[in-house]
Amino acid sequence: MATKAAPNRTVRFRIKRCDGPGKPSYWHEFDVVPEKNANVISCLKQIAEHPVTASGQKVSPPVWDSGCLEEVCGACTMVVNGKVRQTCTCLVDVYAPNNGDTITLEPMSKFPVVRDLWVDRQRLFHNLTRIKGWVPIDNTYALGPGPKESPEKQQVRYKLSECMSCGCCLEACPQFQLETNESKWDDAFIGANAISQVRYFNEHQTGKQLKSDRLDTMSEKGGISDCGNAQNCVKVCPKEIPLTESIGAVGRAVTIHSIASFFSRK
Amino acid sequence: MGTEPGFFKRHHFLLRRLHSLSGIVPIGLFLVNHLLTNSTIAWGMINSRGAEGLPPSVIEQVGQSTAMRVGTFQHEVGFINNMPFLILIEIALWVSIAFHAILGVYYATSGSPNVKHYAYQDNWRYSLQRLTGYVAILYIFYHVATLRWGWTWLTPTDEPWTYERASSTLAMALRGQMTGLSAGGMAVSLFYFIGITACVYHFANGLWTAAISWGLTVSESAQKRWGYVCTGFGAALMLLAWASLIGFLTIDIDDARQVEMSKHATTAATDQNALVEHLAAAETE
Amino acid sequence: MGEKRVIVVGGGLAGLAAAVRIAEQGVPVDLFSMVPVKRSHSVCAQGGINAANEVAKQQGYSEYQHFDETLIGGDYLADQGPVLEMTNYAPKIIDLLDRMGVPFNRTDEGYLALRMFGGSLFKRTQFAGASTGQQLLYALDEQTRRFAAEGKVTMYEFWEFLWPVLEGEGDDRRCVGIVAQDMRTMQIRSFRGDAVIMATGGCGIIFGKSTNSVICTGGAASRCYQAGAWYANPEMIQVHPTAIPGADKCRLMSESARGEGGRVWVPRKKGDPRPGHEIPEDERWYFLEERYPKYKNLVPRDIASREIFDVCVNDGMGVYGENQVYLDLTHKPREFLDRRLGAILEIYEKFVGEDPRVTPMRIFPSVHYSMGGMWTGFEPGDAVPDEPVAHVHQPGETPPIGTEPGHGMKFGAPNNMMTNITGLYAFGEVNFAYHGATRLGANSLLSCIFDGLYCGMSVVNYINDCAPAGEVSQSVYDSAVKQEQDKHDALISASETGIDDPDTNPYTIAKEMGVMMTEASSVVKTGEGLQRCLDGLKSLRERFSRVRLGDGSAWTNQTLSFTRAVGDMLILAETIVKGGLLRKESRGSHYRLDYPERDDANFMKTTVVEFVPDAEDQHRVFYRDVIAPYIKARPRKYGKTDDAKETPKAEKEAATSV
Repeated sequence: MATKAAPNRTVRFRIKRCDGPGKPSYWHEFDVVPEKNANVISCLKQIAEHPVTASGQKVSPPVWDSGCLEEVCGACTMVVNGKVRQTCTCLVDVYAPNNGDTITLEPMSKFPVVRDLWVDRQRLFHNLTRIKGWVPIDNTYALGPGPKESPEKQQVRYKLSECMSCGCCLEACPQFQLETNESKWDDAFIGANAISQVRYFNEHQTGKQLKSDRLDTMSEKGGISDCGNAQNCVKVCPKEIPLTESIGAVGRAVTIHSIASFFSRK
Repeated sequence: MGTEPGFFKRHHFLLRRLHSLSGIVPIGLFLVNHLLTNSTIAWGMINSRGAEGLPPSVIEQVGQSTAMRVGTFQHEVGFINNMPFLILIEIALWVSIAFHAILGVYYATSGSPNVKHYAYQDNWRYSLQRLTGYVAILYIFYHVATLRWGWTWLTPTDEPWTYERASSTLAMALRGQMTGLSAGGMAVSLFYFIGITACVYHFANGLWTAAISWGLTVSESAQKRWGYVCTGFGAALMLLAWASLIGFLTIDIDDARQVEMSKHATTAATDQNALVEHLAAAETE
Repeated sequence: MGEKRVIVVGGGLAGLAAAVRIAEQGVPVDLFSMVPVKRSHSVCAQGGINAANEVAKQQGYSEYQHFDETLIGGDYLADQGPVLEMTNYAPKIIDLLDRMGVPFNRTDEGYLALRMFGGSLFKRTQFAGASTGQQLLYALDEQTRRFAAEGKVTMYEFWEFLWPVLEGEGDDRRCVGIVAQDMRTMQIRSFRGDAVIMATGGCGIIFGKSTNSVICTGGAASRCYQAGAWYANPEMIQVHPTAIPGADKCRLMSESARGEGGRVWVPRKKGDPRPGHEIPEDERWYFLEERYPKYKNLVPRDIASREIFDVCVNDGMGVYGENQVYLDLTHKPREFLDRRLGAILEIYEKFVGEDPRVTPMRIFPSVHYSMGGMWTGFEPGDAVPDEPVAHVHQPGETPPIGTEPGHGMKFGAPNNMMTNITGLYAFGEVNFAYHGATRLGANSLLSCIFDGLYCGMSVVNYINDCAPAGEVSQSVYDSAVKQEQDKHDALISASETGIDDPDTNPYTIAKEMGVMMTEASSVVKTGEGLQRCLDGLKSLRERFSRVRLGDGSAWTNQTLSFTRAVGDMLILAETIVKGGLLRKESRGSHYRLDYPERDDANFMKTTVVEFVPDAEDQHRVFYRDVIAPYIKARPRKYGKTDDAKETPKAEKEAATSV
C-alpha cells in the first residue's frame, strides 16, 4: 500500500475474547510490530506465536476463522473497529499507520461465538437451503449443454454469484438478529444474501422451476417483507453485490406472485 | 412443530403489505389533504374568494388578509364537516392509523438500529423512520384527543375545538392565550412542530421504502430517482405543514372569531331560509 | 448397520462432485470438511476450465490435442490412460456445469466465451470472470445442499479427518471408515464407511507462504500416508509464476491475466527508479516474448517461473532491484478488463493499493499446486495401440483415438483412483494422477470434477461388491479412536498457557519449515540444498517431538489442530525433499541445477514413497514406470529461441540465494 506507515511501529490489538458459548466475554490487548505489507491475519499469526498480552500476561492464543486470505472464501469476517469486514484485506498500514495506533477486533455479533473471534455461521447456509438455492437439474449425466444466455444476463448473474456467504450484510443489517435457537431460524429474517440468491436462481432458465417455492418462502415470516430498507447490506458487501437491487427485484416478484396466487391458487 | 401457525404468522406477508399500504392509503392521502386544508390558514390570503360572503364591515375590521385566511380555512373545514358519513370516514381513518401504529411498533421493535457504527445516510433514515413513527403516534393521539374528542385538560386552554370556530379554537389550543404564547402554549406549539415534521418525514420516507418493498423501484438509479421525487414531495408537504403551524401561530385570534361568527351567522341564516322555504313548499302541496 | 455408505473427506470440487454423483446413485454419503464446504480452497481457482469446445474443434483442435498438451505440459510423467479419459470427458463436464447454472462468460450470441491459456495455441478455456473456481464450487455446493436437504448427504462441517480406519492385513487390508474430530467440541469419534474418498487437496502450507488456503496443510494426505497409503511424485510442486507477495501468503494472480493479453516485462535498465507506466516501450524487456516467440507469455508455468526467477535472482533485473517483475495489462481497455478479469484485479487493488488498469502489476512466483499426491491406480481402457505415437500431433489431423468413454480408463472399474489400500480413494489435487510434472493452467478444476463424476461411479461399483463395513468388529474402530485420542491427549498434556519458547513453539517450527522448503525445494533445486533441507527437517522433527502448545483448552483448540498438522506436514515435507533429491534430472516443475536435463531412460518413472514407521529412514522410495502407451515423450521446448539461454544461466553461478 502506498501509504506512509511508520516503519517498526507498534500496533496495539484489542481483541474481544470468549472461551466458549455461554461464557462471558473479556478483552485482551497485544502489542505487535507488523511485518511488511501486514494485514490483520498476519498480526494474529504473530500473536498466536507469542501469546503474551501488552501487560505481560501469558494467555492462550486467540482463536479465529480464516481460509483463502484472498477475500473469496468469506471465512475471516470479523468486526474491525466496530465495522464488519474481511480481515485478510484489512491492511494494517491503512488501519494503524502510526506508532501506538489501536485496532479493535471483535467477533461478528449476529452469529453465536464458538470461541474468541470464531463464530458459527451455519444459519447462513441453512438459509440457502430455505430458499432452495440450487438449479434442479435432472442428473449429472451428459445431456448436452445448458440454456443459452445473453452476456448481459450473465453479467447480472455473475455479480450475484460472487456472494461468498461471509455474512457482512447480515452483521450490518438492523433487521437481522442473533438467533441461537435453531428451531427459530425459519421464522427469523433471512437477510440480504439469501434474498439476492433467490434472484440469482430465479434468473436462470432451469433455476426458475423452483421460482414459485422460493417466492413462497420470501413471502413467509422472516422473508423479504421483514427488510427495513436500511440498505447497510449493499454498503458493507465486500463484493459490491447490488443487494438492494436484488431486494427490489424480489420485492416486485413477490408482489406479482402473491397477487397472482390470490386469484389463481387452488 | 405440529401446531398450526398463528394468525400473524400465516398472514405475515399480507399484514406487512397492508401495513405499507395503509401508510399511503388512507393515512398518507389523508395527511396530504389535511395539510392542504390546514395550510389555507397561511395561503388563504391569496385566495380571492376566501372572504366571500363576509360583511364588508367585518372585512374592514379584521383586515383583508385575515378575513381571507380564516374565511378560506373555515370554508374548507365546513366542507369537510358537511361530508356525508363523516363519522364513518373518521372511524376508518382511526382504525387505519391504529392498525398502522400497532403493527408499526411491533415491527420497529424487532429491529436494532446501528447508526453508531454504520452511519450511512440510508441507515439514518431507517432509524429516523422508526423514531418518527413513535413520535407520530404520540402526536396524532394528542392531536385527535385534544381537538376531536375534546380532552381539553391536555391543552393550555379550556376552550374545546369546534368546527364552527375552527381557526380561533385551534389557535387557542396551540397558544394557550389570546396574544403571544403561554408557557404551556409554547410546549404544545413545539410539540406540534416536532409532531408534524415527524409525520411528514415518516410519510415521505415511507413512500421511498414502499417503492422498493413493492418492487416499483429496482435498480439503484431508479431508487435514487424516486428518492428525489420523495424528497421533493416531502419538502413540499413539509412547507405546507410548517405554513399551517405558522398560520395558526400568527393569526389574530380575536379577529378570527369575528370572521367565524359572521361566517357562521351567514351560513346559519342561509340554512334557516332554506328550511323555511322547504316547509312552505311542503305546505302548499 | 443398514445401507452401505460412502465417506467423502473434503468438500472442494472433487469431494462435492463425488458426493453429488454418489448420492445420485442412491448411496448415502457422509461428507467431512474442516470448513463449511463453500469455503473450500477451490474458490481460489481463478482462470478457467479447459475442454475441447466446438469453436476450437472447428479450428482443428480436438480432445486428443488437449490430451497431448496435458501430457507434454506435465513433461510425460503422468500415466496416460487417466489423462486421455479426462480430456475426452472434459466437454461433458462443461455441459454439466452449464446446466447447473454456472455463470460462464458468454459470447454476444449467448454461447460460452473462451479464452487463451498456457500451454496451448487454441482458445480452449471456458471461464466465469476471473473467479471460475469459486463459481464452479458454488454450483456443486448448491447441488450438494440439495442432496443434503433430501437427506442423501450428511454434512460434517468443522470436522477434521484424523485417520483412516483399516482392517485386515496384507492383501485383505481395506479401509472401512475414518476417525475424525469435531473442531469445536474436540470430540473424537469413528465413522463407518464402506469406502472412503480422500479429496483433501494440496499441501502448500508446507512452504509457509504459498497461494494456498490456510487449510491446505496436506495433513490428511500425510495421515493416510502414515497409515500405509503410498504417496507419489511428492517432489512435483508447481510454482505459479505470477503471485502477489504478502506478509501472510502469496496471492494468486491468475494465468488468465496473461491469457487475456497480459505481458511480462522488466525495465531494460537495472534498478530503473521510474514507475512502470512511465517507462517507454523501447526501454522494456519483454523477456518471455523474446525467448518464446511462439507461446510468448503463455508458456507453461514452470518455464515462466524459472525465467522470472532467472531474470530477478540471477540477473538482478527485478523491478526496483527487488524480486518482482511487471505483469502488464494497462494496454487493454478498462471495460474489457472489468468484464473478464474484474475479480482478480480487485484483489490486486485491495492488497497492493494500486490500480492494475493504470499501473502494471508487480508479481513474483509462488508455490501453488501439488501435482504429486496419494498414489492411485486405474483400470486401463480399451485403446491399446501397438506403439505410442512419436510424431507431433498437428491441428486438424484425425486423432488416432476416439472420444468415446472407456478408451483411456475403464468406466466404472472399482480400482480407478483407488489407493494401494482397498476401499480408500483419492480424488482431486490430493492424488497424483493427471498432471505429471507440471499442471497446465485451467486443468485442475477439470481433474477435480472429473475424478468426482467419473471415478465416483467406481466407488459405487466397489461398495456394491465389498463386504459391508457394518459387519466389521467395533473393536477395529475403537482402537483407531484410542490411537487418535492418545495422540490428542499427549499434545494437550504438553500444553502450558501462553508458553512462548521458539525451540518448541509449533508456529515457529512451521515457519522455519516454510522458509527451508521454499529455499531448497521450489523453483530451482540442487542436491546439496535438498540434502541440507532434509537435515534441517530432521532437526525440526526432533524439536517437534518436544513441542509445547500454548493452549490446553478442551474446547475449539485451534492450536492443537494446527500443531497436529505441523507434525504431519514435517513428514510430508521429507517425502517432497527426498523425492526431489533422488530424482536426478529436471522435469517439469522439478528443476535440478545439478541435473538440468530430462532423463527419460532413468526417470520417466513415478516416484512412490511408502511410510515405514519403524525404519531409520521412514520413507521407502521406489519407482514405477510411467504407463505411456499412447504418446512417446518428445522434447519439451515450447519453441524457445536458440539465441535465448537454453537454461537459466544460474547454472554457472551458485543459486542458493532466493
